[in-house]
Amino acid sequence: MLTFEHVTKQFGALKAIDDVSFEVRPGIITAVIGPNGAGKSTLVNMAAGSYGVSSGRILVDGVELQRLPKHRIAHAGLARTYQNIRLFDGMSVVKNLEVALVPPRVGRLVADTFGLTPRAAAEERRARCHDVLARLGLAPYAERQAGSLAYGQQKLVELARAIVGGPRVLLLDEPAAGLNHGETELLKQHILALRAPDLAMVLIEHDMKLIMSISDTIVVMNRGQVLAQGTAADIRANIEVQEAYLGQPGAIKDIEAAARGRRNRVRIREGEGLTWHQP
Amino acid sequence: MTSDPPQTGGAAAGAQALAPPRTTRVWPGALAMALVPVLALVAGQFLPAYPLRILDMILLYAILGLGLNIIVGYAGLLDLGYVAFYAIGAYSWALLASGQFDIHLPFALVLLIGASLAGVAGILLGIPVLRLRGDYLAIVTLGFGEIIRVLMNNLDGVTNGPQGIARIDEAHLFGWTLSTPQDFLYLLVAMLVVVFLFVWRIQESALGTALSAVREDQDAARGCGIDTTRVKLVAFALSAFVGGGCGVVFAAMQRFVSPESFTFWESLIIVLVIVIGGLGNPFGALLGATLLILIPELLRAYADYRLLLYGMALVIIILARPRGIISRPFGPSWLMRRLGGGKC
Repeated sequence: MLTFEHVTKQFGALKAIDDVSFEVRPGIITAVIGPNGAGKSTLVNMAAGSYGVSSGRILVDGVELQRLPKHRIAHAGLARTYQNIRLFDGMSVVKNLEVALVPPRVGRLVADTFGLTPRAAAEERRARCHDVLARLGLAPYAERQAGSLAYGQQKLVELARAIVGGPRVLLLDEPAAGLNHGETELLKQHILALRAPDLAMVLIEHDMKLIMSISDTIVVMNRGQVLAQGTAADIRANIEVQEAYLGQPGAIKDIEAAARGRRNRVRIREGEGLTWHQP
Repeated sequence: MTSDPPQTGGAAAGAQALAPPRTTRVWPGALAMALVPVLALVAGQFLPAYPLRILDMILLYAILGLGLNIIVGYAGLLDLGYVAFYAIGAYSWALLASGQFDIHLPFALVLLIGASLAGVAGILLGIPVLRLRGDYLAIVTLGFGEIIRVLMNNLDGVTNGPQGIARIDEAHLFGWTLSTPQDFLYLLVAMLVVVFLFVWRIQESALGTALSAVREDQDAARGCGIDTTRVKLVAFALSAFVGGGCGVVFAAMQRFVSPESFTFWESLIIVLVIVIGGLGNPFGALLGATLLILIPELLRAYADYRLLLYGMALVIIILARPRGIISRPFGPSWLMRRLGGGKC
């Protein structure tokens, strides 16, 4: 479970994230949507430790991520993909995955290197990488240099690298960006297949069709705030939110006005309708 | 290491990629590697002293190149002050086995001490500078190299300053006296094999994977759970350890050390050894050292134009092979694939 507790991020005078609180529960896919600049990527980057938080807490299963050194965040069970692919281009595909399985303790690493510990561990890690590659249909490319693969395959390799360590929270930052229809469909199947009772998935995406077809719950963000949260059906039903997302002129202002007009914060349980948060 | 089959085409490579992963094929690589010491040992039997001395220098620089490769080739951190570690090793032997303080420790022990001191210096240097990247790191390491040299130059009471330390002991290793270039050839061949295996192990291990990840994309590596700072420190220490060991051998070979031997020029030569030979590639270091030591020797006849021609030769090599002569990275696995047709 990934929890955002009153998270705020200030870049100078700009409040990129403004008192955001929500939970990402295991077993389901949570999509975060919103227009450009809504703060979706900032949220992911904070959870992954690339940015610090200005205030508030981000927790994975109760562990506060901001208290950990950056490299520890992965060991706390959080893995991510990047909006712009960030593979280790010069290394083979399987080596890219092995990076995520490197023993965390440097002493152990050195002992491994000079043969003081059995090689079985290394063999096991390698087998696990090949296993994940096979699951994502990447087995034929295992020994290819990652940077030489086609864009869509690189996206999948990134996904493979993120899941090989068996994370409990998986952040997918625009996984379908730049993919064609067929590749998106394939990605969708893979993401759905990843759904597991102990894995909390966060999907940041612009492809509304993909979001609507695979998300269990959706968080709508605008200007650093959570505008609404609900099931895919709820969000789909709410034409206003769709308009806001699609960026029709005035749509967001209308929603904000509507929300401000309500003043009272209406919380409706999931499945029963939208949850409005006070802006 | 010359019987490479022609490069496989795209289709063949695809078919090869489809084959199930095989375990490492060691023999072809080991065979190629064994060829180098055998050739060197044969040469040791027949060559006169002068060419042997050149051969010694080639081997010494190849070992230095292998050591520097850990930090520059694998971790991708440009260290322009590598000579500092070499100097620490050299002065270890000069001070611990000479009349300077009348200390006469055995060679094997000093080899360990000198390498370890250099390793510790590597960590001490690494702690403050590893926040820096690229050019900034290069400049700071360059400064470190100069600081060590200036220190040796000015610590008159300890190092005799610019006059250097002479009257260094003859090295004895397990009852074997190391005095002629031939003796050192054997020692250096043994060291080359050991360091080669050492570097190879690093490359094929999880540590090597971690270092490569740091080189490719430090932030993504951290995102994957790599403790980038410590991994880089380990690389610095291992690299410095090798440099220190070379320094000890150098001092034992020359039986004289002075700060003059450890200028920035030396650091540059060692960087060139691996850049010319091929970064991140153990065979590259050997090839690079051969060229960089041999070319100036061959140019002795043209004394006046020697440096000019040397520079021109280097420029031509860099122009022709911008990624080093053995340009495919990550040597042994690649070599074994080429020689054995297998995968690793």
